[in-house]
Amino acid sequence: MAEPIKLAGGARIRRRGMSLSQSEGLLGMALVAPVVICLLILVAYPFVFAIWISFTDRQIGAEGSFIGLGNYAYLAGLPSFRATIVNTLVLVLSVQSLKLVFGLGIALLLNQPIRGRRGWRGLILLPWAMPAFVAYITWRLLYAPQGGAFNMILIGLNLIPSHADFLSSRELAMPSVILATFWRGFPFWVISFLAALQTVPQEMYEAAAIDGANAIQRFRHITLPGIRHVILVVTLLSTIWTTNSFENVWLLTQGGPSDATMTFPVLAYFGLQSLRIGEAAAVSVAMLPVFAMLALIAVKMLQRD
Amino acid sequence: MLTRLTPPQKFAAYGLLVLLALFILFPIYYMLVISLKTPRDIYRLPSLLPVNPTLNNYVQLFVNQDFLTPIRNSLIVAGASTLISVFISSLAAYSLVRLKYLMRDWAGRLILFSYLTPSSLLFIPLAVIIARLQLGNTLHGLIFVYLTFAAPLSTWLLMGFFRSIPADLEEQAMVDGATRLGALFRILLPLAAPGLVAVSVFTFTGAWNELLLALIFTTSPSNWTVPVAVQYLITGDVFRWGLIMAGSVAAAIPVMTLYYLAQRFVVQGLSAGAVKA
Repeated sequence: MAEPIKLAGGARIRRRGMSLSQSEGLLGMALVAPVVICLLILVAYPFVFAIWISFTDRQIGAEGSFIGLGNYAYLAGLPSFRATIVNTLVLVLSVQSLKLVFGLGIALLLNQPIRGRRGWRGLILLPWAMPAFVAYITWRLLYAPQGGAFNMILIGLNLIPSHADFLSSRELAMPSVILATFWRGFPFWVISFLAALQTVPQEMYEAAAIDGANAIQRFRHITLPGIRHVILVVTLLSTIWTTNSFENVWLLTQGGPSDATMTFPVLAYFGLQSLRIGEAAAVSVAMLPVFAMLALIAVKMLQRD
Repeated sequence: MLTRLTPPQKFAAYGLLVLLALFILFPIYYMLVISLKTPRDIYRLPSLLPVNPTLNNYVQLFVNQDFLTPIRNSLIVAGASTLISVFISSLAAYSLVRLKYLMRDWAGRLILFSYLTPSSLLFIPLAVIIARLQLGNTLHGLIFVYLTFAAPLSTWLLMGFFRSIPADLEEQAMVDGATRLGALFRILLPLAAPGLVAVSVFTFTGAWNELLLALIFTTSPSNWTVPVAVQYLITGDVFRWGLIMAGSVAAAIPVMTLYYLAQRFVVQGLSAGAVKA
């Protein structure tokens, strides 16, 4: 936060006198207090509380007692939990690579002199403007064995003999979740990259063209350095949110078939439903180190903006 | 941007764009088509086209399924959490951008950190806390819990908008005898009106679309919000896809309309990396 605030502070009215700046300080604290109190109660306290709960055998209606690393030891031996780690990694890495490659590609395409650029941008936004739960329920329908469009098309074109179990076979479930998650998430990347591309000065391309640089050289030496910061910020933010996305897996497969698509948020939700709060909290907290690392880098980068 | 495209390049570019449009539009098209079909037609006459279109699913949704109750609940929850969070966030954002005091950087870091914290990390302790406060299964409880993402989101966005407005006018007003708060309410907030609208749209859609917390904190059907009501449509043994898609369309239309009305700001907000995925 330091950087931007100092900028704003520089534009402040310059009036001297202790009493004034003191009263200004009090006013500042009073104005920020509602949000700060609210977040201390609703974010900071639950955050610490979750860590505490994960060290207890708490259940609904029973406080439970401190059991040290008991829940973590239990999770480490649980096949579902190990599947969850692998699945979350596979899902996040695949979806994020797809978003990066296609997001950048589509943004570069839309940055060409094409007609109706605004219209295309509005079109790209559609999956993003749609509520996530609606998007994933629609994809569940597309994948459905009966009434689903994909099976109808593939069978109609004689590409497959009988309907494919997109969401209920171990091989297809994860790729199906990945594709749907990509569809809903890529517009954020395209729009962010497109906005960044438009800040790269045109003169640099002109100068490069005069120097005889080809398209690939222009991309590597002008475009990429120009939008590097945005690429990093978008990747970080999106990775935090994709890792913690609940709707995609919950609405498409509920983690199935037999944990083939189980991810952290869904496993934690099942833990809460089974009323074993301590274990459920341990599932969430197990994600914390990765989240904390990503969040710290993101905070640094956003403060620099 | 630099050179004009040669004809083959043009052909390739528009070809790719058409494929992209197909990829984006087909799911949405199919959602609309299925929402207009009877259950029998969906299974007996599989087709990508709207054969025998009917509004029966929508009638059923609003008459038999009482879909107006979740819509009312969602309006209350999303409306109230937006009003509360935009109000307290304007004060906080003003304070963080224009005033100087001890622990300001610390408050700013708390807000940014909260903004990045996903609710999937918080829902378990929140469930315990809400139960202890006896707010479980109430709309009040849900409004309260929604401030976890609404308040940091609106504060973070409003800070950006306030920063883009020069402080000169407020300073002038204060030289003319206005107080700090007077300058905030009479000068800055009216100038930031487009920003306030955009932030309200983001916060409202965020709350309208939220599924996980609503699933945990509203247990009886009379308190369900729209996402919860729609997700319970898919838990039966038989998938009533026509009805489910009608519910999805009804849930999506209000927020998608809002989004497109505010599109100019949406794009600004997106490029600031501002919206939660």
